[in-house]
Amino acid sequence: MSKQREEAQAVMKRHMGLKASARISNTVIHIVLVLMAIIWLVPFVCIVLQSFRTETNPDGTRVTWMVPYIVPKKWGLDNYVNLFKSDFKDWYLNTFIIALVVAAVQTFIVLCMSYTLSRFRFKLRKGLMQFMLILGMFPGMLTMIILYRVLKDLGLTEAHAVPGLILVYVASSGMGYYVSKGFFDTIPKTLDEAARVDGASRAQVLFKIILPLAKPIVIYTVLTAFMAPWGDFVFARYIAFGDSSGMNAAVGLWKWLTQDMINLRYTMFCAGGVVVAIPVAVLFMCLQKYYVEGVTGGAVKG
Amino acid sequence: MNFKRIAAMLLAVVMVFALVACNDTTDETKTPTGGNDTTPATQGNQGGSELAGTYEIKVWCAEKMVDLTTNQIKAFNEKNTDGIVIKATVQNVSEGEAATQMITDVDAGGDLFCFADDQFARLVQAGALSKLGTQASEFVTKNNDAGAVKAATINGEIYAYPMTADNTYFMYYDKTVITDPTSMDKIIADCEAADKQLCFDVGNGWYLASYFFGAGCSSDWSTDKDGHWVVNDTFNSDEGLIAMKGMNKLMSSPKFDSKSNAAEFDNGAAVVVSGTWDSSTAKSILGDKMGVAALPKYTVDGKDYELGSFMGYKLVGVKPQSDAVKAAVLHKLAQYLTDKDAQIERFNTAGWGPSNLEAMKSDAVQNDPVLAAVAAQAQRAVVQNVPDGWWNLAAALSATAKETGDEAALKEALKTYNDGVELLKNLKPGLLFVGAWNGWNNAVVEDTYILSGDGDVLSLTLDVPESDYMGGRIVNNGKWESDKGYAQVTTGKELAKDLGGDNPDNNIVFVEPGTYKITINTANNEITLEKVG
Repeated sequence: MSKQREEAQAVMKRHMGLKASARISNTVIHIVLVLMAIIWLVPFVCIVLQSFRTETNPDGTRVTWMVPYIVPKKWGLDNYVNLFKSDFKDWYLNTFIIALVVAAVQTFIVLCMSYTLSRFRFKLRKGLMQFMLILGMFPGMLTMIILYRVLKDLGLTEAHAVPGLILVYVASSGMGYYVSKGFFDTIPKTLDEAARVDGASRAQVLFKIILPLAKPIVIYTVLTAFMAPWGDFVFARYIAFGDSSGMNAAVGLWKWLTQDMINLRYTMFCAGGVVVAIPVAVLFMCLQKYYVEGVTGGAVKG
Repeated sequence: MNFKRIAAMLLAVVMVFALVACNDTTDETKTPTGGNDTTPATQGNQGGSELAGTYEIKVWCAEKMVDLTTNQIKAFNEKNTDGIVIKATVQNVSEGEAATQMITDVDAGGDLFCFADDQFARLVQAGALSKLGTQASEFVTKNNDAGAVKAATINGEIYAYPMTADNTYFMYYDKTVITDPTSMDKIIADCEAADKQLCFDVGNGWYLASYFFGAGCSSDWSTDKDGHWVVNDTFNSDEGLIAMKGMNKLMSSPKFDSKSNAAEFDNGAAVVVSGTWDSSTAKSILGDKMGVAALPKYTVDGKDYELGSFMGYKLVGVKPQSDAVKAAVLHKLAQYLTDKDAQIERFNTAGWGPSNLEAMKSDAVQNDPVLAAVAAQAQRAVVQNVPDGWWNLAAALSATAKETGDEAALKEALKTYNDGVELLKNLKPGLLFVGAWNGWNNAVVEDTYILSGDGDVLSLTLDVPESDYMGGRIVNNGKWESDKGYAQVTTGKELAKDLGGDNPDNNIVFVEPGTYKITINTANNEITLEKVG
């Protein structure tokens, strides 16, 4: 046995010691994380499980209320079938239309806005940016009553709440330019100039040069634009004003939580919750990679 | 340059259009509300031609009633001989929600709407209900249960049509467990023997009152013409003590559970005290085992007392209309929707108990076990007539009854309750100063700062301890919103922080801790702040 080898063994032992302590702390951390994950996931798991619950009572009616156990005794899709036989399909469609239109229009506006503020130099550019910053500090809820009156006078409440809500969500979208402008600032201006020299118009520069480079930020913008109206409750409730045909899914489902309906609708309510979560979950799973890039991408420069 | 000019022109055109659009629609939809209380509402069967026409109306009712109401209106169109054609949009706005929606925007509210009687006063105040004419009032008083009529009356005037008289609670039980549903002691014993829960939500003032009413106490609040409370509250009495002891007996049982949902039968309960809304759930779970009964007797010191309850009603209201003819038509429809047949239909569809005297006597209603229990319970029920601030006071009673059966402690709790009641009914000098120093509490007596004094000028001296937010507001007894605050401070403004626009609650926030004297002149709401230490 050479000395060298002994030394190597000693080093290895030291490493083993390190490894062992690292392993212990890792285990502890993982246990804590698992516990946290369980606590966090339990409500979601419960909702999903409840939505598949289809037991029947002795008299043949369905057990549609809250029960003291989590795992269904009888599985089935009845809740989902009933859900789409109810008004929920209208609410869901409303929510979908609103979210899609808002996602498209808002993305377009935000990207154009960011590009303009990033590349153009015009009078009062700074002033405009500061003004929008200050404007953005007012809570949007403050304007609710005024907006309601305006929309009502335009006839965009109750049964026509969908275009009204789209208008509300889209109206201030230009102010959400910060993240994408930050990202655009990191794209070298020389690219623009080269394209301009080759005869491209400003619009062509945006759509053919900048946007392909800014894919994460585009996706981030689409996602955030989609999410906000998807989960909105306060505005949507106010503007629908009790008219079922103008409600979105959140408001409609909330209507089921009255004393005399909850026992009849509880499992359907859970199914509704799951159905509402699906598109968002799918979107996030597909676009997760870009989303993280997008959130951090724009943060390099303000 | 050219582009700018075109853009400017386009903008101008767009703006003009927007304005025009605004004007047009407002003119169309503008319906002055509240001003036509004197409209002679529906004239019974007078010659119909005046009312003939097509009316587009909006009706608000609970989800369970949407289909039925639509059909009833269809039937009304076919049956009426006046040539009235009603095109109704029936929307699902629950009775609990209707008042809030209505008050938010009376204009956009339902022309006919169903609501629970505890919102009645609010709706009248907001001008969301039109007064009934002589004949309509007669229709209501002649056909309906006296309690229901009282619930639709304010200052001697009737403002709504009673639709149900069933919003009370009684007992659903499992016949295989409960041997004698008339005695609370036996029920408790049965539940303990069978290891099954006894669900009675006495932690909630609404249910808790049943013990007090049973012992012979009352809590009835109304206001006189000047807005002063006229209160008859006798909870703090020997009878009240009996009720507390009875509650303690129930709450100290290990099988007692403060819940009120019939779904608890699936969760091992043998008794659930709940209302008609739970009948289908209870029936589904228990099937033939289901028993329904009025609340039992409870026994204290060898004497029996029958548990009472609150009674609530659902009413149909007509929104004030600018068009007198339309108003008359709406009143006619409201009568149709609350007459005997409509109420029986409602009973058949959803088990709602009628307020119409004849409907109550019909065979179907008489033979229904649930409504039999409602009827039995109604004999000892009291129309719910308490202010918002009352619920917390009452709930505090059950907290004590749960902890201890000691007579002195129970008496003490009743005394605290009574102090709260005194405070609550003391509306005239009933301005309080609540804030961070007392945990924003306006219900617990010891902790509350009352502004007192003679005549219009009220004052209060209080210590403001050092804290993150040394602010508070002057509120009316039992209320939270303040219309008296920073804006009206005339003297000593420098002692309070100027929060600028960021003060929607009109709070007074002191700059530094110390002892302050706050004076308010209620005649003109001028507030003076002084630092006294």
